Amino acid sequence: MTTPLMPPAGAVYDRGYRPYEGERGGRGAARAALVRVSIRRALGLRRSWRQKVLPWSLLAIASIPAVVNVGVKYITRNTPAANFDLITFREYVGVSTTLLLFVAITAPDMVCPDRRNRVLPLIFARPLTGNDYVLAKVGALTVVVFGFSFLPQVVLFVGQMFVAPQGALGYARENAEVVWQVPVAVALFSLYWASLAVAISATTARRVVAGVALLATVLVSGMVASTLVSARGADPEAMFEDGSLWGLLSAVDIPVRLADLVFLGHVDPQSLVGGAQGAGIGVALVYLAVVAGSLGYLVFRYRRVQ
Amino acid sequence: MNDLLLRAEGLCLRYPTGTLALDELTVDVPRGCVGLVGANGAGKTTLLRLALGQLRPSAGTIEVVGRAVADDPIGVRAHIGFMPEHDCLPSDQTAADVVATFGELAGLPPRAARQRASEVLDLVGLDEARFRPIGGFSTGMRQRTKLAQAIVADPEVVLLDEPTAGLDPIGREEMLALVGRLAGFGISALVATHLLDDVQRVCDQVVMIDGGTLRHAGATQALVHRTGALRVEVNDGAARLADLLGVAGVAVTLVDDATLDVRVDGDEGHVLDLVRDGADDLGLALHAMTTRRTSLDELFLDQPR
Repeated sequence: MTTPLMPPAGAVYDRGYRPYEGERGGRGAARAALVRVSIRRALGLRRSWRQKVLPWSLLAIASIPAVVNVGVKYITRNTPAANFDLITFREYVGVSTTLLLFVAITAPDMVCPDRRNRVLPLIFARPLTGNDYVLAKVGALTVVVFGFSFLPQVVLFVGQMFVAPQGALGYARENAEVVWQVPVAVALFSLYWASLAVAISATTARRVVAGVALLATVLVSGMVASTLVSARGADPEAMFEDGSLWGLLSAVDIPVRLADLVFLGHVDPQSLVGGAQGAGIGVALVYLAVVAGSLGYLVFRYRRVQ
Repeated sequence: MNDLLLRAEGLCLRYPTGTLALDELTVDVPRGCVGLVGANGAGKTTLLRLALGQLRPSAGTIEVVGRAVADDPIGVRAHIGFMPEHDCLPSDQTAADVVATFGELAGLPPRAARQRASEVLDLVGLDEARFRPIGGFSTGMRQRTKLAQAIVADPEVVLLDEPTAGLDPIGREEMLALVGRLAGFGISALVATHLLDDVQRVCDQVVMIDGGTLRHAGATQALVHRTGALRVEVNDGAARLADLLGVAGVAVTLVDDATLDVRVDGDEGHVLDLVRDGADDLGLALHAMTTRRTSLDELFLDQPR
């Protein structure tokens, strides 16, 4: 009698190594990948739920004014108060400054661990240069800040379209200019904070130090500017066409005043530089200096890995 | 396909501090598993960085897998995987994410990068640990993750800087086994190390540098040649056997009470017979007779500096 063959209880498979024969991109693909990876990190994607809480909570918080404004408009739609705006599109760019906390946490998280964990030699063993790294990091943060600043504006615009007494199309026609003003102002705002935040983060390997340094830069520069403007006699509480060019020292004011230029064509009179001779040109020049200076420092900082 | 893994011609590198890291290095390194051997500070890591295009030579040229690094220092990296000596992995990410990320950075599409990451982590023995944060990994697991990221994009060549550094004996064995398998995958490996035993075990070619200059280059087996000596181990009484063989005209060096080296000139079989018969005549137990070979350590230490 023959013993029946029994199937094996288990088996070990050595799947071996398979060469990769698929699509393979070059330097451009590597750059795009670095942007993608940085955006994923900023949004907490493929990370624990704790890393997701902050970005998405801040997006929700940034959207609150839009939702409230649309809600009030809906409630008062058949009353004279319907024409009153709690917040305008221009002012909403300024409200995005609430995202400063997000930038102060995200920018260091994008840059500092690469130095602290000594990942840079590994990144630059791929087809990437220091300039690619700088552009990818600043680009990724610009995209994320743009998204978080722009989406609430979309909520505001679309919401008001539907509650406007003149109808959605009528509202869109009357406010057609914000279709270009909002994205331009938000893009300028996002580039400003992304460049400055990444540059400050590149000075240290510690995230906490970088975040505190960014917030300190904002607070101290704002206080210094406010003090200097007040010192020449202006009342900072009611600063109507009584500001001075010292106001240009306030880091937090520059992108907001640039938004004024985009929406109004001039700087808001009720601001630190309001009413000062050459305030518009001054704001534009300081904006360019901060962005160019930050990018220049970053290129210098990562030049050795070319 | 070019047969050379690396070609250096008159390669010099002087750092801004004035230190001459490489001095007129000229060498052709064939594909396969090649050991780059030298003491600390010999110029091994500098040579790897020149191969990656991260440093520009002060003089001379360097080619990697047939591509002149000076012509396209960025593009050449698409064909190279690199495993640095130091810890270089983000501790808050999983091995799967890190390896996939470096696959993407090498130009692979995201989906393919994740697929490849899974495959190579399986290959290096991290299949079950790949979704754990690297912060909780042992040194051996980190080294394997570093190797996985180096090969994830299926490069033509990998540059491994001290791949067994910090590993315990078992981890070292496993890492050497993995490095030894790379050639079978069609991936040439340049293994920079100061551990000559590692090279002797897995590399078929060896390049020795010291003080930035070439000391030796060639097939490992050709360098580890026979010394012309026979190591004989007996129980006590090696001195008596040495005397007996001396009378028979054989040159002998007494190592200790139980060991002697016998010079073999001419007919090796005749000398072996003399040793066997001499031990038998003296009533000694013959424990071992082995042909002595030079080790890479001896070769390295014997070279004039």
